[in-house]
Amino acid sequence: MTLKSGTTSACAACKYQRRKCIPECLLAPYFPADQTKVFQNAHKLFGVSNIVKILKSLDPSQHAEAMRSIKYQANVRDKFPVYGCLGVIRQLYYQIQLLEEEFHSVLSQLEMYRQYHHEVPSQLELGMAPPTNGLHFLTAVPDMPVSMQHSYSNSNNIGYCSSYVDSKDHNNNNNNSNSNSNNNNNNNNSLWIQHPFLATNNSSSSNSNENNPLMAIQSQLLVSNTQPLVIQHEVVQDYDELHPFFDTIDDRQSFIHSKEPYDSSCEDSAKETTQAIELVPNNELKNAAACFSLTSVH
Amino acid sequence: MSSSSYSSSPCAACKFLRRKCLPDCIFAPYFPPEEPQKFANVHKIFGASNVSKLLNEVPTFQREDAVNSLAYEAEARLKDPVYGCVGAISVLQRQVITLQRELDATNANLFRYAYNEMPPLRPPPPPPSSAAGQSSGFSYPYQWNDPSDEDNERSSGGNM
Repeated sequence: MTLKSGTTSACAACKYQRRKCIPECLLAPYFPADQTKVFQNAHKLFGVSNIVKILKSLDPSQHAEAMRSIKYQANVRDKFPVYGCLGVIRQLYYQIQLLEEEFHSVLSQLEMYRQYHHEVPSQLELGMAPPTNGLHFLTAVPDMPVSMQHSYSNSNNIGYCSSYVDSKDHNNNNNNSNSNSNNNNNNNNSLWIQHPFLATNNSSSSNSNENNPLMAIQSQLLVSNTQPLVIQHEVVQDYDELHPFFDTIDDRQSFIHSKEPYDSSCEDSAKETTQAIELVPNNELKNAAACFSLTSVH
Repeated sequence: MSSSSYSSSPCAACKFLRRKCLPDCIFAPYFPPEEPQKFANVHKIFGASNVSKLLNEVPTFQREDAVNSLAYEAEARLKDPVYGCVGAISVLQRQVITLQRELDATNANLFRYAYNEMPPLRPPPPPPSSAAGQSSGFSYPYQWNDPSDEDNERSSGGNM
């Protein structure tokens, strides 16, 4: 790019519009001349005038962040023309749901271990006979310590965020001829999912024994998002290329494909620990009995 | 209720734009007259012509999803002009990371129990959530995969 003496090249926005890039150009700091593709994406989605309108409605100190989000949103829309950022949000919700399920499963196993270690030593101390059925705790499913839920339900103040999960997602592979009969209002059915992750209206104090907010979310997700499973099959192929998106976590596709291994690993580890638990009481019984016979009753 | 027939009421888009709603109006199936706000939001953020171009590039059976996602993003941008729906993405991403971390810690705890029969450790407190790359306490899920963009973002307008 040739530079005229004393002048810099026009920004990508002014270059696109074929106009002189003035020093006060609002977009110049955010669309350098060599970022034509980024600008085109933003222009395609928002349009220059709308971007300028957004910037003018904000404090200058917020311009940079706003432009980052605009560029990001536009680039995601370019990558995923149908779902855009909403597809990304759905994927993340799904991911969270899977992680939550696995987490609850692990917590339940951990709680069983804790209960067992609690019960047997205390009964020995009291001189009580150890439980004849050492496996009874296996049937107990204690309430989960829901610190996780606590943190999630508290985490955020973005009260507006709701997932536009349209029941017509069912039909995204069919004709949408019946769409008008369904889509009536934002607040219909399961169209809008208010997630406590993003809403402040879930009280944290009620989380101690309630899985309700998250379970409600999960049930909503399960009920209304059978389609996202379909959608994800469509989107996952696109996300193959979005590896940097999930730099810090598993790649989307590998995560989706590893859902079953997650399930099976849960089941396998549950089976292993169950077997281990079944064996332990026998040994403990014998040891306890030996102790009992040698020592006096306390 | 069909809103695309010539004799029925115009769609929300044509009502808003004050034009005749033709039978082949591209907006009619997706912006029923009962939801004027939906189109108003989308038009305010993206503009009708941009939406029309976007819809034309998308297969017919996916247009409704496209419109719904645009409506969602428009509403998000109106409520949060700085971050829009990207704010939600960042929050969710952080939650995924936190949850994964806690899951790993709990799994490690479980292994201790299962194989060592030692009392479980309390999961370590999560580290401070300031992820790398935050300039304003707001982390983006990823940087657009354009090297020149990343370089320029760092040097020019990306961070303030």
